[in-house]
Amino acid sequence: MLRFFGMRLAQLAVVVLAVTLLFYWMLNLLPGNPCVAAFGGAATQEQIAECEEDRNLNDPVIVQWAKWGGDVLTGDFGKSYLTGRTFGEAINNALPRTLLLLAYSQFLALGAAIPLGLWSGYRQNSAGDKMVSGGAFALLASPVFVVGLVLILIFAVKLDWFDLSGYEPISEGLVAHFKVMFLPSVTLAAGLLPVYLRLLRTDVIGTLQEDFVGTARAKGLPVRHVLLRHVLRPSSFTLLTIFGIQAAQAVNGAIVVEFLFDLDGVGSLLVSWVAAREYLLVQTLVALIAAVFVTVTTMVDLLYSVLDPRIRRK
Amino acid sequence: MTDTASTVITVSQPEVAPRRRRHNVALWMSVAWLVLVIASAVLAPWLGFLDDPHKPLAGPPEEGPSWSNWFGTDQLGRDMFARSVWGGRLSLSIAGPAVGIGIVVGGVLGVLAGYFGKWIDLAVSSVVNIALALPALVFALFIVTVLGQSYMNVTIAVTILSIPAIARIARAQALRFAAREFVTVAHMMGARWPRLLFREVLPNVVPALASIAFLAMGIVIIAEGSLSFIGISVGSPSITWGNILAAGRGRIEQSPHIALITGGVMFVTLMALNFVGDEMLRRLDVREARI
Repeated sequence: MLRFFGMRLAQLAVVVLAVTLLFYWMLNLLPGNPCVAAFGGAATQEQIAECEEDRNLNDPVIVQWAKWGGDVLTGDFGKSYLTGRTFGEAINNALPRTLLLLAYSQFLALGAAIPLGLWSGYRQNSAGDKMVSGGAFALLASPVFVVGLVLILIFAVKLDWFDLSGYEPISEGLVAHFKVMFLPSVTLAAGLLPVYLRLLRTDVIGTLQEDFVGTARAKGLPVRHVLLRHVLRPSSFTLLTIFGIQAAQAVNGAIVVEFLFDLDGVGSLLVSWVAAREYLLVQTLVALIAAVFVTVTTMVDLLYSVLDPRIRRK
Repeated sequence: MTDTASTVITVSQPEVAPRRRRHNVALWMSVAWLVLVIASAVLAPWLGFLDDPHKPLAGPPEEGPSWSNWFGTDQLGRDMFARSVWGGRLSLSIAGPAVGIGIVVGGVLGVLAGYFGKWIDLAVSSVVNIALALPALVFALFIVTVLGQSYMNVTIAVTILSIPAIARIARAQALRFAAREFVTVAHMMGARWPRLLFREVLPNVVPALASIAFLAMGIVIIAEGSLSFIGISVGSPSITWGNILAAGRGRIEQSPHIALITGGVMFVTLMALNFVGDEMLRRLDVREARI
């Protein structure tokens, strides 16, 4: 078991190193001096020299990358030479918004997909199942920004139930917080829901054929109990796998949703840095996102082996 | 033999027929819509009744649909129908080549990995799995920033992003067929690997890839739409579905038709692509296609 964990952690380290090195190398292909660009073209010789010194631009790429890695590991993420704001300040402000958005939308998506998936699998080919499956199919074909625009039009413009005024932290009161977070979360959840739903439904249809389901029913257990306790459990693996894959999908969606609802989260930060040509910050952020994702995927893999010891022996 | 076979078919037909026909109607509607969208996108410069999409005051500004402006007009009075068609032209001209190249490159990588296994499979699979676990849009943003916002670079970015998903499906298909009896038989008859690969395995993988192309097309259209929605795609005078929607977002209170109609066109196109792709997969009995 320990050896297995060790192997996975070593793999994780190699992948993170490779991905960040790749991005470092790619940015190095850019024409021009990133330090000149970082000041927006209006910098003195000394400022540029200081920035070059700071970013180790006079070293070979691999040394630059190693020093960058050392800085990041010791908590120095760099700063914007244009505004003087540090990476840490910007992230501290943005990260909670994005994490909350992701958490709410996953909660909504799973909360809706589990009962709907169980039920439409159980009532396969009924009128209700056809409606649910058709709806999921339609959602699958709806880009996040189209869903978001339609929700804004109905609930914020016509009905005026929700605000479109940027972000309110929880400390401003739960009502104010959810007034701005509800629509973005639903929008993002609408993209995640059909994938969970379709997979769970397929799984449920398969599991319902198993003997243990018949036994449970024959014992006289109520349908609800059988579905929740006996049919849902074997599907936890499918849900876990897809949760890992969907995490990446969710971040794609979050970038668009934050832009659409002016949330100023990590995605908006990335987009604004890209637009302002703050390459040095973009680089650090992209590398960190990559590192977080590879870690999440590895965690999911590790969780498997905890849930099912057979995987460890493969 | 043939007699019994035909009797079986005639006997079972009445039960199956109604369901099939209903399915076919939806399928043909999807195909018809796709033909319409693709034809209008390709022929846009030569369609006489289409207004110039950049010409201001082709009608009164911010008007809903009317006889002269089928999809209404935007705040500058530009004809929204013409803009939708031209937007589709650019979106499709990015998605088409991207999927084409993605299918070829991803298909080759996946088939090689699935057929040869060993270190080729290890290399391809690990790269593909890592790529699939990362948020694609972040990297598309990154690529477009590094290379610059142009038609070519956006196409490159979305092509790179489509490759891993396609490779994964091609690998699964190749694995499945490489283990089949007819391949073993051909091998026992003395066929070498080029014959086995190109004559036995590949012909069975190609139909699956063709149906995946429809689904991949939808994903690439959404990816490009997202990029241009947040303003990081082909530069601003160009029209894409994504940047029409971004403009429509600003005017959603005054003239919701801009966002709604373009969003609707996009939605129906994506529905049609998914429907055709799904139907082809079902008929070919391809598993592991949906992520």
